[in-house]
Amino acid sequence: MSILIVDDSPDNLLLTKTFLKSTGYVDVVCCESASATMTFLGMSENATPNQDVELILMDIIMPEMNGIELTVQIKKNEFFTDLPVIMLTAQDTIEDLQLAFAAGAIDYIKKPFDKMELITRVRSALRLKNEMDQRKARERELTETLHQLQAANSMLKTLSAIDSLTNIANRRYLDNYLDEEWRRAVRSETPLAIIMADVDHFKLYNDTYGHQMGDEALINVASVLKEVVHRPGDLAARYGGEEFIVVLQDSGKEGAITLAEKICKNIFYRHIPHEKSSYGFVTLSMGVSSVVPTMDSLPAELIGEADKALYRAKENGRNRVEA
Amino acid sequence: MSEKIQITVEPDLMDLIPGYIKNRQNDIEAVKAALETGDFETIRIIGHSMKGSGGGYGFTRITEIGAAMEQAAKEPAPDTINNLTKDLSDYLERIDIV
Repeated sequence: MSILIVDDSPDNLLLTKTFLKSTGYVDVVCCESASATMTFLGMSENATPNQDVELILMDIIMPEMNGIELTVQIKKNEFFTDLPVIMLTAQDTIEDLQLAFAAGAIDYIKKPFDKMELITRVRSALRLKNEMDQRKARERELTETLHQLQAANSMLKTLSAIDSLTNIANRRYLDNYLDEEWRRAVRSETPLAIIMADVDHFKLYNDTYGHQMGDEALINVASVLKEVVHRPGDLAARYGGEEFIVVLQDSGKEGAITLAEKICKNIFYRHIPHEKSSYGFVTLSMGVSSVVPTMDSLPAELIGEADKALYRAKENGRNRVEA
Repeated sequence: MSEKIQITVEPDLMDLIPGYIKNRQNDIEAVKAALETGDFETIRIIGHSMKGSGGGYGFTRITEIGAAMEQAAKEPAPDTINNLTKDLSDYLERIDIV
């Protein structure tokens, strides 16, 4: 990294450069004018910005463009916004200093200066720049970590909502969803329906074909549900074990029954062999319930109704829908 | 010949002093030439530059002369400028670096 000195007086350039070099700042570049500075920094349209400069010591009074105007131009460039500029000035007027600071200078040194003063100010400007760079690097790291966290969070949120076996919503998600839909239905005074489905003779199926095949059967049921339930706002979820629940927004009993019968048929026609079932294939029994929710009713009551209907479906021979 | 003026210079700058003094002698010639053509802007810039550099090299007197010359060029006051070049010339001859 280098220090750039801008001064129209060769004597001043030499003096400043000598002080810096004798202190150990070996990489010092001198420019005698604003145009030389802009060329050196690569500020013209097609030039490559020279980002090796870490500090500029800038004379104010110069022919063509003065140091204040030059500082304004440098600070306007996105690559040099944070590049510190210290003004070197033989002017005593307070207006000049105000303009210099307004232009973006961080400090000024009155000419003539002695070595100690120059070095002390240069050192503190570089320390500040260094700290700022470190802070910016930390901010970048933090931002990146934040993005990673957000991504991880969103993945966790998905994971915590999805049943890992069947890839449809899990019980936790269902409970929250049903609560929300319940409140929405109370406000809009629209009906809410649920279908509760249970795999017939699932224990026998597992005993006959093994748990891995049992898992396959559940995945099949979930895929039938996904096929059939696709209205936005409707939800198919695994309720637990071999039980599934479908929530239907703004739906009465009739619509829910129609959908349940479709599910019933679709799983049957997958023809998943089940030798211990009287139907010969994996089937579902289903209970349907529907209600226009009110303030003093609970989602559990709706589920309870569906559960009773499901029980009747089992009683009445399975592979059927009851409401 | 007047007495020598002893000046203590930063060791770092020792090598630069002869060049610096030579440049001021050039300035004196340049100021004289500018005085003849009435180019006070050039004199102002030379004065300003001396004001900024003199003390840094260890020559506070050059800073004083530079400041006075810058001021005189603004007015403009040719007689004062003329006297200041003589002061500077006299000063440069009496410098004794220690």
